[in-house]
Amino acid sequence: MQRVGNKRTLGKIIRLAISYLVLTVMAIISIFPIYYIVITSLNDIPSLASVSLGSLLPSKISLNAYYGILFQEPFFVWLRNSLIMALGTIIISVLVAFLTGAALSRLNVPGKKALIVFLYILTFLPSVATVIPLYVMFASLHLINTYYGLILAYSSGTSIFGAYLVKIFIDTIPPEYEEAAMVDGLSRFRAYIRVLLPMTKPIVAFIMLLAFLGAYTDYALANAFITSGNMWTLTLGMYYLAITNHSTLYNVFAAFSVIMGVPIMAIFIAFQKYIRNVYSLSGGK
Amino acid sequence: MGKRQGIFNYFYLLPIIAIVLFLFLYPVAYAVYISFTNFSLFHFFQYSYIGFKNYINILTNPNFYFVELLKNTAIWTIGSLIPMMILGFFLALILNQSDLKFKNVFFSTFLIPWAFPAYISLLIWSGMWDYSYGIINKIIGLIGIAPVNWLNNTTYAWVALILTNVWLSFPYYTSIFLSALQSIPRELYEIAEVDGAGMLTRFGKITLPMMKSTLVFVGVSGFIFTWNNFYPVFILTGGGPGTSTDILIVYSYQEAFDYNQYALASAYSIISTIILAIMAVIMFRYSRILEGRG
Repeated sequence: MQRVGNKRTLGKIIRLAISYLVLTVMAIISIFPIYYIVITSLNDIPSLASVSLGSLLPSKISLNAYYGILFQEPFFVWLRNSLIMALGTIIISVLVAFLTGAALSRLNVPGKKALIVFLYILTFLPSVATVIPLYVMFASLHLINTYYGLILAYSSGTSIFGAYLVKIFIDTIPPEYEEAAMVDGLSRFRAYIRVLLPMTKPIVAFIMLLAFLGAYTDYALANAFITSGNMWTLTLGMYYLAITNHSTLYNVFAAFSVIMGVPIMAIFIAFQKYIRNVYSLSGGK
Repeated sequence: MGKRQGIFNYFYLLPIIAIVLFLFLYPVAYAVYISFTNFSLFHFFQYSYIGFKNYINILTNPNFYFVELLKNTAIWTIGSLIPMMILGFFLALILNQSDLKFKNVFFSTFLIPWAFPAYISLLIWSGMWDYSYGIINKIIGLIGIAPVNWLNNTTYAWVALILTNVWLSFPYYTSIFLSALQSIPRELYEIAEVDGAGMLTRFGKITLPMMKSTLVFVGVSGFIFTWNNFYPVFILTGGGPGTSTDILIVYSYQEAFDYNQYALASAYSIISTIILAIMAVIMFRYSRILEGRG
């Protein structure tokens, strides 16, 4: 009996030791590229060539690269363009996703089932696949080099995926809530806005995040639809600094990455539980 | 509610129908149309119908670009998906052990690659893989390995691409698998343990069967997503050296916006979409994951 017990404890120790080892290695790998870019941004080394193992543990910290990105590059022009597109995308996506999701969940619409499956399958279509025809279409509608064209292009995918999420979420809310409001004299549309919309807040917030990220981190569409420099977005500016110009301004690119990426990462980690719940709601089962 | 009311309810769906029509169906139809023309920058205003010529060109090209692109897309998709799912599942199993401490610390750290915008991470990785100056060659130099020309040698380029993609994606898989594992009732394991079932038996008889639907769903949607995942190849190798790591979707984009061959590019993206759609239908049918949806 004693020996079986010992064998068990030994097995447990080995199992846990291996577990901690694997977890620690994976944690280091997960964090390393971000650590590397933060450190590079705080280092007074201009080019990729001067990044070394020694610069991973710098002796002194410099904010020159941050000064460079904020005041010597047209960062605020890029930021403005990115934010306008992100905001437009958020507004359209949330409105369309909510209306569609509410209608698909609550209303009797002929052909609803087929429509839901169809919308679901559309979410698999990548935006890059429609970029060429959109480019031609936007060219003939004079939407190249405009905010509208890109906002429309960004909104389509998020609206559809969002509608699908809103639909599953509203399915879990009993219809008595808005029915009570309608008995009190509200029209169906206003009952949705006043009663259902506040209850779907978590999903709406998620769609806002998704819409924001879609517009804020897109390069492929912006690169295709924007030709004039004053319409450049953050990602276009970043590509220029990282790829075209990495031999001279690498620490400026690093500072750029930190300014652009770390806030998103912080939001994501802060709301991770909730974001993961939405993802498992949409597909886990 | 009468039938009239049902038709009226379409009012709520007008915006999404407009979006689907103008931003999905019309562009797709248009792409099909221009793939049958000689539309390019040189024929921007006056292009004409040329039948299946683009498709025939692609399929009979003496350099066999198409075969190579298809092969590369398969290597990229399957080569990424298998390690991502195995690693994701393995880490989820480790994190699901009840006697493990600091679970949340480890898990939050694993979320970083998912939380940091992938586009920026890829630009960072492209600097890290650099042959002459990259930090990865400097790190492996510590254990005496000579610098590797990661992005300019086909084999190493695939290793770099897939490792980067695994880094980007494993948190998603770990997270989905972990939440599925946590939904398996603990009592099942307790009963099995009382009955004397060992670790492997419990894994094979409880964990795997309970995880089957999640694994299948995540596998199929991961396959579709990876097939169309544009940025890693576009940023890290641009399909190079030559076209040896180029995949269909990236090549189609380059054909359009680097070489201005819009018609040929459309034909490539249509072929890619048709192949993917056929495989998706087969996988959906076979796995029945769309049943009970809606």
